[in-house]
Amino acid sequence: MIIIDRLCYCSKLRYVNAGEKSAFTVLTLAACILSRSCAVALFVLAATGVLTVYKGGLPLFRYLKLMSMPAAFLLLGTAAIFINISKVPLGAFAFSAGSYYITGSFQGLRQGAELILTALAGISCLYFLSLSTPVTDILTVLKRLHVPALILELMLLIYRYIFVMLKLAEDITVSQHARLGNRNLAASRKSFAAMVSSIFILSIRRSGQLYDALESRCYNGTLRVLPEDHPAKASEVFCIAVFELFLYLAVIFLKLSGGMP
Amino acid sequence: MTQNQKKLIAAAAVFSIAWGICPAANAMHIMEGYLPAGYCIAWGVLSLPFLVAGFMRIKKTLDENRRALTLLAMSGAFIFVISSLKIPSVTGSCSHMTGTGLGAILFGPCTVSILGLIVLIFQAILLAHGGLTSLGANTFSMAIAGPFISYGIYMLCRKCKLSRLATVFLAASAGDLFTYCVTSVQLALSYPSEAGGISASVLKFLGVFAPTQLPLAVVEGLLTTAIVLCLESYAKPELKSVGYLKEV
Repeated sequence: MIIIDRLCYCSKLRYVNAGEKSAFTVLTLAACILSRSCAVALFVLAATGVLTVYKGGLPLFRYLKLMSMPAAFLLLGTAAIFINISKVPLGAFAFSAGSYYITGSFQGLRQGAELILTALAGISCLYFLSLSTPVTDILTVLKRLHVPALILELMLLIYRYIFVMLKLAEDITVSQHARLGNRNLAASRKSFAAMVSSIFILSIRRSGQLYDALESRCYNGTLRVLPEDHPAKASEVFCIAVFELFLYLAVIFLKLSGGMP
Repeated sequence: MTQNQKKLIAAAAVFSIAWGICPAANAMHIMEGYLPAGYCIAWGVLSLPFLVAGFMRIKKTLDENRRALTLLAMSGAFIFVISSLKIPSVTGSCSHMTGTGLGAILFGPCTVSILGLIVLIFQAILLAHGGLTSLGANTFSMAIAGPFISYGIYMLCRKCKLSRLATVFLAASAGDLFTYCVTSVQLALSYPSEAGGISASVLKFLGVFAPTQLPLAVVEGLLTTAIVLCLESYAKPELKSVGYLKEV
């Protein structure tokens, strides 16, 4: 139902220590954001691409399709950054529209290009994590970071019930369509509202049942689940450390040399 | 071809391209890696007091009544699910509700801030909507600003004795619109325009996202109204259990 969740359980990197993967993701992400240079972004894009597709065993086509998902935001948002409307034309290009110009400068174009690459590199880091680490593993990492138990418990239950409710929504939608509940816009709007409200009712009812079930199994305020333990391998930690060291040296070097290229 | 015909074709092309891009547009999540590091942290810090308040509120509710835990979890899952469902719209394109307006009306804005944070984390991980670095900014616009405005307007309209339908419609669509404005301001603060500074940049972002967000706000308002109507006629006991129908 949720494609990323399904893929991450099939990943070959699934049983690598979750702490390693999270640390790699966060550090690399930070490096991308801090440097905002095309070189670092391209390097990260290549590294995470290799890791996800080659090491993780994800089909390349799938990966590219996932990478193109946020394209709309990227195009619209970036266009808004480097296209200006002003009375004086700027350097790179200018079209006149009445007494104003639709214009942009080389500075803006470069900023836009850097932004697109940084954002793509960032999303590839995020994909590396979410396509190799199931949510339950991420929760164990968060637990070790001392996130309040209440939040983690809520997250676990919410994660569990997202799928139950999506299945409900799907079933209801199928049966509505079978009865031509989507024959025109007004009808489909009405069916949508009916569907959402019956999901609400069912979920409230189910939450009561869930609590009864928990209580009958001696629930006293904490949900206990057995964590799967996959200890970190020294070789992997070493590789990650070398990679991050190299990356941060590159970031520092680029900053000192004035942010070019 | 005359000049006018050319203009007409160009206009049609622009229109169709705009609609071509629209289908993928969802509620305005700022993408991973889109904000500079300083702004990521700043928005996170700004959201912190609201989140702490929400956390305290939830903790207090749970201390009084442990049963509320599963109810809260279900509400969170409910917000995630309604924000990931495709809603019926004119072009057959897929757009999504934010769901936070409905959440704020049903569960109260403080609770929704924490649930919204969790939903945003899952949206980033499971759907690649938004991201980890832009989590702070997204939390502020979607889980805090939108719900609080929705709830404020909802309360205000009830004071003014407006009809139920109008109240819910106004609250939901205003929450949606406000989220969209806040996101535009967030983007503009990070990327001020070279010609005209921050204010020009705000206008640009507002303009660029208007074609998708304005219809979405109206649709969200209509749907939320319909949902609340349905709920009020079929789900009185359930609404009482989440505290929505207490005073009625």
